[in-house]
Amino acid sequence: MSDPANAPAPVLRAPAHAAGPRRPPAYRRVAAVWFRHVRVYGNFFVANATPAVFEPIFMLLAIGYGLGAYLNKHQFNNQQYAAYMAAGLLGVTCMYTAAFEAAYGTFIRLRFQKTYEGMIATPLTRRDIFLGELLWCGTKGALFSAIVGAVLCLFGHVRLPWGLAIPFVGFLCSAAFGGLSFVVTSFVNSMNHFQYYFTVVLTPMIFFSGLVFPVKDLPDGMKWVPLSLPLFHAIESFRLLVAGPAHASVPWAAWCPLILLGMCIALGALGVKRMMGRL
Amino acid sequence: MSRAASEPPPAAQPTATASADAGAPPVVECDGVVRRFGKLTAVDGVTLHIPRGICYALLGPNGAGKTTLSRMIGAVLPRDGGALRVLGLDPGLEESEVKARLGVVLQENLFDDDLNVLRNLEIYGLFFWKRGPAFRAKVQELLRFVGLEEKEKMGINELSGGMKRRLMIARALLNDPELLILDEPTTGLDPQVRHAIWARLRQLKASGMTILLTTHYMDEAAQLADRVGILHKGNLIAEDRPDALVAKNLPRWVLEFDALEKPVCVEALEKNPDGARYERHGDRAFAFHADEAPLSGWIKQYDLRTALVRPSSLEDVFLKLTGRALDE
Ligand SMILES: Nc1ncnc2c1ncn2[C@@H]1O[C@H](COP(=O)(O)OP(=O)(O)OP(=O)(O)O)[C@@H](O)[C@H]1O
Ligand SMILES: [Mg+2]
Repeated sequence: MSDPANAPAPVLRAPAHAAGPRRPPAYRRVAAVWFRHVRVYGNFFVANATPAVFEPIFMLLAIGYGLGAYLNKHQFNNQQYAAYMAAGLLGVTCMYTAAFEAAYGTFIRLRFQKTYEGMIATPLTRRDIFLGELLWCGTKGALFSAIVGAVLCLFGHVRLPWGLAIPFVGFLCSAAFGGLSFVVTSFVNSMNHFQYYFTVVLTPMIFFSGLVFPVKDLPDGMKWVPLSLPLFHAIESFRLLVAGPAHASVPWAAWCPLILLGMCIALGALGVKRMMGRL
Repeated sequence: MSRAASEPPPAAQPTATASADAGAPPVVECDGVVRRFGKLTAVDGVTLHIPRGICYALLGPNGAGKTTLSRMIGAVLPRDGGALRVLGLDPGLEESEVKARLGVVLQENLFDDDLNVLRNLEIYGLFFWKRGPAFRAKVQELLRFVGLEEKEKMGINELSGGMKRRLMIARALLNDPELLILDEPTTGLDPQVRHAIWARLRQLKASGMTILLTTHYMDEAAQLADRVGILHKGNLIAEDRPDALVAKNLPRWVLEFDALEKPVCVEALEKNPDGARYERHGDRAFAFHADEAPLSGWIKQYDLRTALVRPSSLEDVFLKLTGRALDE
């Protein structure tokens, strides 16, 4: 390998700097972070999408149809069990997509790859970086929910044209869980600690937010629990799209997308703020 | 001042650009800047000014606060006290704008390992929102400048340490910076690569670039710097032109020898005979004197076999000013 130690270096043109600010505006800086992730992780899109897409399909087949066959005398929100599960599967896909990205992914970029340390030396601020991360989480959720939605559509569980709005709810759901995962990541000192988050926070959310059984069947004293969690509102928003208001779990389900939006903004703002302190 | 042939090379004079801009405000104005990490005060009230067009070298032992100070100047780390202006702006208030006008070579080589050389530069450019044909031409120009034009399709992990370092420098120049901050640009590199990098840095300086250089290599500072500051435990304990720093702190000549070789000699010189100044760092003993003659005399007198008489250097000053603390 020849190192041109003694070769004269080509002359660089002296740059002429225009007057005025040289920093890109904030929206471009956030977009740049997003582009970076698209560029870097785009190569692994298929690998990343595989669990997010196949797990819900396996659950639909094994639980929705397999176990559901034993439950066909019963109605779940006025639906057969497999159809009932569709909305929940979309919600879980988005939740896990965002949680892996904003917990493990962010932690690895923060601690091991030191990606942010390189980025923070450019015009990007800490806020730009983590807003971009959140945007990326939302984007992944939108994409993966769209794919899962397309599969569910083949099984006849998505009503059209409402189903076309699945990616929007997918974006909100993933961004909300991105924010929540940021909050967790900001406290964590070792990747092993994410086990608590996944086991104690996320797993119960799946079981008790209306994926497995309708929340109206919870004991009276427990009904408030899912209502306070983002996953319930995400699943109910998906249910509005794929099944329609007739199959909603609560009479006021039309508010769920708005509540999800509110939770997304609140968790996103809190998560970004927490992570800004960690970098 | 007349120089003996064996004296260290004179410090580079400020370039034409620097004198033309003599009236312009300094690129870095740092007054009493403080940074704490918990109970530790990493930077403890540093005052330094870097005029446009010069190369300022920051020396200091490990943990002295060099990186912390350059991160504050680079608008990456908020300061806990003092006044700081970079290119006339307050990095605390105009973080993004300051960083848009700086080029930074971090102490560590940080790249996206999954992308090739060219893609890495493109992504980095995007953070400055630089793209399009003019930017792609700039990328090629810089790859040629650092001698990596044939490596643009290579993966980051296929590059040698020296190539990665040169790529860091190319990357730092993508946005036509007005101040280049280099944190140990040549640590761990072989002499050829170091000289190649120095050649590029000298050329940048000649084109009017202001450079803040952090280094552990005295020869690097002597080769490149117009001014040298020595940072020790968060304090700037000395600052001057490299040659003036030596002249101010030490007699002109030094006798360096193995302290274990002749205990008699050590004993004699410890008494600082004939106006000499004795110092010891590890196994090496040093006797400084304004004249060469008595030093050569002692070589003969004590029959020192591994001794050497040479002009005092920046390294001697560095050891003198920071060395005792290292022995603590
Ligand atoms: N993020 C941080 N958190 C806590 N302490 C820190 C942090 N960064 C630096 N320090 C401490 O501040 C002191 C100065 O560190 P700094 O990295 O600035 O030293 P340095 O002069 O660059 O050293 P080196 O020559 O080894 O690179 C050290 O004691 C270091 O442990
Ligand atoms: Mg350092």
